[in-house]
Amino acid sequence: MISQEPLANTPTTHAEAEVMVDVRNLVKSYHHKTVVNNVSFAARKAEIYGVLGPNGAGKTTTLEMIEGIRMPDSGTAIVAGLDVQRQKSAVQRIIGVQLQATTLFPELTLLETLQFFASLYPKALDPRQLLSDVALEEKARAHPQDLSGGQRQRLALAIALVNDPQVLFLDEPTAGLDPQSRRMLWDIVLRLREQGKTILLTTHFMDEAQLLCDRIAIMNNGQIIALDTAAGLIGRLGAQATLDCCLDGRATKSDIGGLDGVTGVRQANERYIIYTNAMQSTLVALLAFTGAKGITLTDLQVRAPTLEDVFLELTGRELGGE
Amino acid sequence: MKKILTLLYTNFIMLTRQRGLIISSLGLAIISMLVFGFLFGGSGSPKTLLGVVDQDHSAISAQIVSQLQKSDALQVYIGSNDEEQQALKEGHRNAIIVIPPGFGQQMVQGGADLQVFYDQGNPVTTAATQLTVKAIVDGINRAVTHQPGPVTLDQQAVAAKDIRQIDIITPGMLGILLMWANLAVGIELVNWREMGITKRLAATPLQPLAMISAQVVARLALSLIQGVILLALAAWIFNVHIYGNIGLLALVVILGALTLLAIGFAIASFVKKSEAANSVLLLVSFPMMFLGGSYFDVNGAPSFLQPIIHAMPLYYLNEALRQVINNGAGWSAIQTGVLVMVAWIIASMLVVWRAFKWL
Repeated sequence: MISQEPLANTPTTHAEAEVMVDVRNLVKSYHHKTVVNNVSFAARKAEIYGVLGPNGAGKTTTLEMIEGIRMPDSGTAIVAGLDVQRQKSAVQRIIGVQLQATTLFPELTLLETLQFFASLYPKALDPRQLLSDVALEEKARAHPQDLSGGQRQRLALAIALVNDPQVLFLDEPTAGLDPQSRRMLWDIVLRLREQGKTILLTTHFMDEAQLLCDRIAIMNNGQIIALDTAAGLIGRLGAQATLDCCLDGRATKSDIGGLDGVTGVRQANERYIIYTNAMQSTLVALLAFTGAKGITLTDLQVRAPTLEDVFLELTGRELGGE
Repeated sequence: MKKILTLLYTNFIMLTRQRGLIISSLGLAIISMLVFGFLFGGSGSPKTLLGVVDQDHSAISAQIVSQLQKSDALQVYIGSNDEEQQALKEGHRNAIIVIPPGFGQQMVQGGADLQVFYDQGNPVTTAATQLTVKAIVDGINRAVTHQPGPVTLDQQAVAAKDIRQIDIITPGMLGILLMWANLAVGIELVNWREMGITKRLAATPLQPLAMISAQVVARLALSLIQGVILLALAAWIFNVHIYGNIGLLALVVILGALTLLAIGFAIASFVKKSEAANSVLLLVSFPMMFLGGSYFDVNGAPSFLQPIIHAMPLYYLNEALRQVINNGAGWSAIQTGVLVMVAWIIASMLVVWRAFKWL
């Protein structure tokens, strides 16, 4: 089981790096429902910081409060030393924002859209160069509504980059994209980190968080329930491997939990997810147990534990199940 | 400065690329003007049949009558009050002017009244007749205030009386154009909000007020340009003449556009979905389109409609446009309309102030 450690107890590998986003005790309620409940975290320079959670967890609202789009009920958000509530314009000049599914002015071409956004900042990058950076230079004269989903997300990213921001906010940047487009976007994001930009991204894809993010905050019901590197989060499961299998009705959860090396079991009908710190012993014991009882064992997979397992363990539900 | 120019330019080209907007404003106005113009004959129209009853028999009244007889736009009949009233009832006169006894004497002293009766039976010709008679009375008034004594009717005012259908329709179409071009700002704002554009802008240093101001200026520019195109076409094809001051006309156009923009913003303040905004817009604009007096005279409309008509900003805008374009009227003739439009702007801004949400 994962112990709920205090949030301050975060890894110290980049402790010397400058804190670019410092969020403390953010609270936001709508219609008497607390959407964001006392959220605190800090992202450092040149770090990709992931906020992971199911839809409705409060990820977007949290980001919007840091971006200066919404006012928190209480708490503070500091970006590059500037208080978002007191120095909103100053903050908004140095951040780039990609909202979840933004629609842009349908009357403007891509190039005009970028030129328009460029005009809103004291300093801006060359719109044509930005278009070619996100592989849209051939679409300069197209309109946003003529783009595919992946192209649209890349346009939104190009707009977010128009002021060469120090901090970039990406809200579900790959939602609804095909695998190829997702990989293309990941490459761009990784390149941006190399340029020293701090990137805050939300996602409900475990693989994305695991692959991209230096650190991850897992959010559920408006609260951060765990906060660590992907490896750290998975390590807390105390498992070296996961056995995923189907066992027919005669098996019980306690039978399986008693097998050699098992650190945790989750069961849904006939499906079992078994966490173990001694994969070989557990596997032998499982086969012996099923053989002795005449239980049918199907669909056996042995894999390393993933963030998905962490999330399941923390919330008791799967991330995809919204 | 460059930032402001880009903001204005962007808002303006976005408007010019909204085909629906251009068609519903300029397109519709031009088509209506062409249809009415060719339907009712663009050139030459029946003269206004004017009965004149001279009960004064003074030198001054005789001069007025002879001046009226000289006008090409008028067919003047002279008769007794009973004869002329009868002719009016039977539809043989568009209007009659009664010069009461003592008129000449009162005029010399500085204040005299004319009685005017209109044929209300034909709403299509009534507007033209009313304008004609107003122009005559204006001319007489001017003669009185400037030089008591021998009356000469202002030739320009008399010429202005050659009012044809197309002359009446053209300002009305300008009014309709301004309505469609500017009320639609409500839909635009609701769209921006619904599509998440306002939210995206809220994440930039751009102030909402800057974007809204740029949109207003862009719509005013579009209104003026479309107005110039419409009036130029009217002048070219139908020889429609603008008798009033161009500066005053531009002012009326801008004020009208601002009034309708303000109402558009008020609509956007309490409507959330763009579909609903479309419905509300139609609900507001259709009655105005027909009762605002753009296509035909509404002074003869049933009395239960009059309070509605007289609450409509488009009615006052059309009146003011006709006064300036057809009648060559000055500031005093359009004061009431200007006040009503300003009142509409203030009322709409109150709604906006209480209820408008950018996000």
